[in-house]
Amino acid sequence: MVRQEMKEGRMGRRPTWMYPYLMLMPALFFVLLFKIYPMVSVTIGSFFRNGRLSLRTYQILFGDQTFWNSLWVTVQMNIIIIPLQVVISLVLALLVNNKVKGIGVFRSIYYIPVTMAIAVASVTWSLMMNVNNGVFNSILSVFGIPAQGFFTNPDQALGCIILMASWKGCGYWMMYLLAGLKGIDGSLYESARLDGAGYFQRLFHITIPMMSRTMLFVVVANTTANMLMFAPTKLITEGGPANRTNVLMYEVYKSAYRNGNQSRAGAITAMLLVLILFTVIIQFRMINTHDGE
Amino acid sequence: MQKKYRTAALVVLYTVLVLIAVIALFPMLYILMASFRTDKEIFAYNLPFGFHTIFPKVWTLASYHDIFAEYGFGVPLRNSFLVVLVCLPVNLLVASVAGYAFAFFNFKGKKLLFAIFIVSFMVPADSVALPLYTLVNKMGLVNTFTGLILPGVSSGLAMFLFTQFFRGIPKSFIEAGTVDGANWGQIFTKIIMPLSVPVFITAGLMVFVNSWNDYLWPLLCGRNEEVRTIQVALGYFKDENETYWSYIYAASSISALVPILMFLPFQKYFVEGVTSSGIKG
Repeated sequence: MVRQEMKEGRMGRRPTWMYPYLMLMPALFFVLLFKIYPMVSVTIGSFFRNGRLSLRTYQILFGDQTFWNSLWVTVQMNIIIIPLQVVISLVLALLVNNKVKGIGVFRSIYYIPVTMAIAVASVTWSLMMNVNNGVFNSILSVFGIPAQGFFTNPDQALGCIILMASWKGCGYWMMYLLAGLKGIDGSLYESARLDGAGYFQRLFHITIPMMSRTMLFVVVANTTANMLMFAPTKLITEGGPANRTNVLMYEVYKSAYRNGNQSRAGAITAMLLVLILFTVIIQFRMINTHDGE
Repeated sequence: MQKKYRTAALVVLYTVLVLIAVIALFPMLYILMASFRTDKEIFAYNLPFGFHTIFPKVWTLASYHDIFAEYGFGVPLRNSFLVVLVCLPVNLLVASVAGYAFAFFNFKGKKLLFAIFIVSFMVPADSVALPLYTLVNKMGLVNTFTGLILPGVSSGLAMFLFTQFFRGIPKSFIEAGTVDGANWGQIFTKIIMPLSVPVFITAGLMVFVNSWNDYLWPLLCGRNEEVRTIQVALGYFKDENETYWSYIYAASSISALVPILMFLPFQKYFVEGVTSSGIKG
């Protein structure tokens, strides 16, 4: 993903060795203090209890049915949402990559949901999907379909969150995939066309392999974003119905701020970081096989 | 690559494009229209489905008037602007200077430092919100603007975009500057910055939208009314017995329209900025 073309400096001479360090100092200061330090401290902190090294927090956590349920909900959601969003985003990118009149307008429109705050999107969708007076049920009634529970139905709630998050998220990933599409050498398609390759052959044998770095970036960034998404759970379902939307990040929030259980929250955060790391490693293996980086 | 579109293909393409556009815009349109309704009307025309299910019968700005006059919505609105307007320039400065160092200098530990930034950008802020709260609390900055702003002033994503963009700037441009005796600061402001308008706009928009829409951090760190931001304030239009839907619609519309109005005039640069960021191929 990161181009390593800077083997030799852009500049032949270095004025003083300190310059780059000085330039990086402010950024590094903030990143170390507000990102790296909290990450490390929460992980280390979860192994301590009352100032002493202990695995008690994890022992309690692993014996807790709520934790396993939340882990399962989080895994379930991400197994669906990551491929779903990547596929939709790719389709959107392919659509807006058509060079026809007014395509820029559509590209902008598709990006608009991205600019809506997750808090606002959650409230909006919960109102639209309200059982009694939501507009979705009004529309369904036109087709003679009875009112659906949506966020209040244990079988539908997680799906509704996935739907809402995809509505809001796909335009963002579309932009990166579009950038990837524009970077592909057009002559590759010409020769494939001469060889008689159809649209889907070109898609799977040229487009997708040529975009492996973009794909990797999108998949990884998408994973980290969705693993930690908890605003819909907090604002719409509060983990319900029947704990079916109780994602791990919401457990962190509840442990820390409702129940004042910092060590449990810390341990779950550490587990989340491990889960993300694990998923990302698998994704790197799956996507980046032919590329040296 | 020149492609010829047949009429039938064009019809299908535009139909699909318009359909997706409707899906993308519908929720926005729905809350905006609902925000112009009177309180009485708000759930009156749900069934059967018709024109007034979406569009108001009687148009009014009463909800907008009420949220400002009775609920003091001006305060969170101002707070959000304050946070973003401090965050944005500092973020762009810090990130662009760091990107400059990575793109044009060689130094010991460069790979390690770049890796640290990549990790920081891959791990979203929300995952460390809890230990961050502990830290900011120790610094005595909970419920202050400083506490709200500081963790957001360095964005790994912005730095990454700058680095990738700067790497694409031809070496000869910089050499011309050094020959003329310009120092590094002058090269940055006189040569690099004017060339980098698209990436400044792209990174700026991303920082703006992220900062404006941030929910978890202000929820934890800015609970007091004086520092409450707009996203957090949206949760306060209800009490034990009742939720004031028309107020939520109006407040949500304002919250949603601000980033859209920021994005639309710059959208052309935005695509260019992402495209040239090197996240391609």
